[in-house]
Amino acid sequence: MNTGKENEFAVETRGLSKIYGGKAAVRDLNLRVGEGQIYGFIGRNGAGKSTTLKMISGLASPTRGEVRLFGKPISDPAVRRRLGVLVEAAGLYPNMTARQNVVMKARCMGLADEKSVDRVLELTGLTDTGKKQAKHFSMGMKQRLGVALALLGNPDLLILDEPINGLDPEGIKELRQLVLGLQEEGKTILLSSHILGELSKIATNYGIIKDGQLMEQITRGELEEKCQDYFQVEVADVRRALPLIQESFPGIQAEVSDTRIIRIYGTMEGADLNRKLAENQVPVYASGFHHMDLEEYFLERMGEEV
Amino acid sequence: MFRLLRMDLYRMIRSKSVYVCMGILLLMIMASLGLVWLVGTPQGQEVAMRIGLFTAADLADETDTMAGVDTLIMLRQSSMDGGVYNLIFGIWVMLFVCMDYQSGFIKNVMAVHQNRWNYVAAKIATAGIVSLLYLPAQYLVVLMMNRLLGDMAPCSPLRDVLFYLSWAWLLTVAFAALVILVCVWTRSVAAGALTAVLLGSGMVQGPMYALLSMVKMGDWMKYTIYHALDQGPNRFTAPSDLYVYAVGAGFLALYMAAAGILLKKQDI
Repeated sequence: MNTGKENEFAVETRGLSKIYGGKAAVRDLNLRVGEGQIYGFIGRNGAGKSTTLKMISGLASPTRGEVRLFGKPISDPAVRRRLGVLVEAAGLYPNMTARQNVVMKARCMGLADEKSVDRVLELTGLTDTGKKQAKHFSMGMKQRLGVALALLGNPDLLILDEPINGLDPEGIKELRQLVLGLQEEGKTILLSSHILGELSKIATNYGIIKDGQLMEQITRGELEEKCQDYFQVEVADVRRALPLIQESFPGIQAEVSDTRIIRIYGTMEGADLNRKLAENQVPVYASGFHHMDLEEYFLERMGEEV
Repeated sequence: MFRLLRMDLYRMIRSKSVYVCMGILLLMIMASLGLVWLVGTPQGQEVAMRIGLFTAADLADETDTMAGVDTLIMLRQSSMDGGVYNLIFGIWVMLFVCMDYQSGFIKNVMAVHQNRWNYVAAKIATAGIVSLLYLPAQYLVVLMMNRLLGDMAPCSPLRDVLFYLSWAWLLTVAFAALVILVCVWTRSVAAGALTAVLLGSGMVQGPMYALLSMVKMGDWMKYTIYHALDQGPNRFTAPSDLYVYAVGAGFLALYMAAAGILLKKQDI
């Protein structure tokens, strides 16, 4: 999914910080999202994701640092027109229909052409909602309408904060296809989600934030390299098993991930390991090969100190 | 700013609240003038006694109720002077502005418009347009009711009507700017409603006037929105009558600037 435009940054933050009442919600964040990327922004609740996305969207002012979009400061009106935003809940007028909500945003943006309204409603599958008011929409429909508002004006950069919240499996699939389609058109998408399995299906790049600090920015390729296969064995006595494994299989790397679980990286036969442990009277409860996914990688990183 | 104004007008036309508030104002004028007719005209008094609303003794002192009253005074006494208009209008402004925050739509607006002065200016302009519709509508209802009830009072000269409506309009827009300031500051429906009720109806200004009068400063209250609207001139007789425009323009500029600065400093 390399678009060849990744030397240019759609989003670049430099030393971005936000301090509320003496406590830093975001600290010296240097985020870089290349043009054409689908950038998955990951972090626990309260890690500073939404605050960062709000600062990038111009909804919150940084205490320190700056945000540049397409090489220009966020205050540039021309840059703002290239930005579509869905941060936190979709902001909708409850007594208005889907179309009226989109027309409102279109007027706000100065779009006279109603074709753009029809286009985003069609893209998000909301064309047939008729006179139904937004307050009667399901959670998923509201979220789709929020995405429709963000898509209005054909933005080059889409910022979506938890866009799949409340969507049913079909809605998630449709949104995934929509995001991938938008990326094929050359658009950049910066999105956060707690559903890491879903995020890993579309993201080309990731940023991991913890306690307001960016821990890591990683490409999908780099993540795949790091998320190597491993053999996991659950034993009764880790203190006996670990040195035994390290002595018997010198070419491998072993780490204790739990009080009873050892992960072994490197080429080896699982059956040999099990036999070795049994011969040395170390009871084995379970064993098998695993592939680390984004979720495991994220949880592992979250366990580390910043 | 004009983009935001177009957006606000689109919403205003489709919101029920603008029609409900207008209906309340017009109904109150109708009820008030109906009561004036029952008390102040011979035909009305006859009806009032027949239906048992008043006795002859009750109405004995009501012989010159309509003396010196014209249609403009009717409008002022039934809606404007007591603060009913600002109370209802202020509540509408509060509902209109707070809905942006309650719904979260403000995020859609502010993600597009970096210049937050535009937002404040558009909201004040929308309030100005609504007041520009409400005030003449009220006066038209006064004329219509006056005609229906047998021309209880003479019509005011058009020049006086235009003079009064123009400065009253400016003062109501300044009051709207105050409500907008409170809504932007607190983002709270309760605070906005409280402002509209307490300041629109004069519940704060009344005691303040009494307190300031004790230290011989009560005259300064003449330069508040509430008192200017209550005591401002019916017709232009001297340049000093123009002070109402100064009061309106001054408070409008002050509250607009405060709302703009506040919004600029706030995160959305």
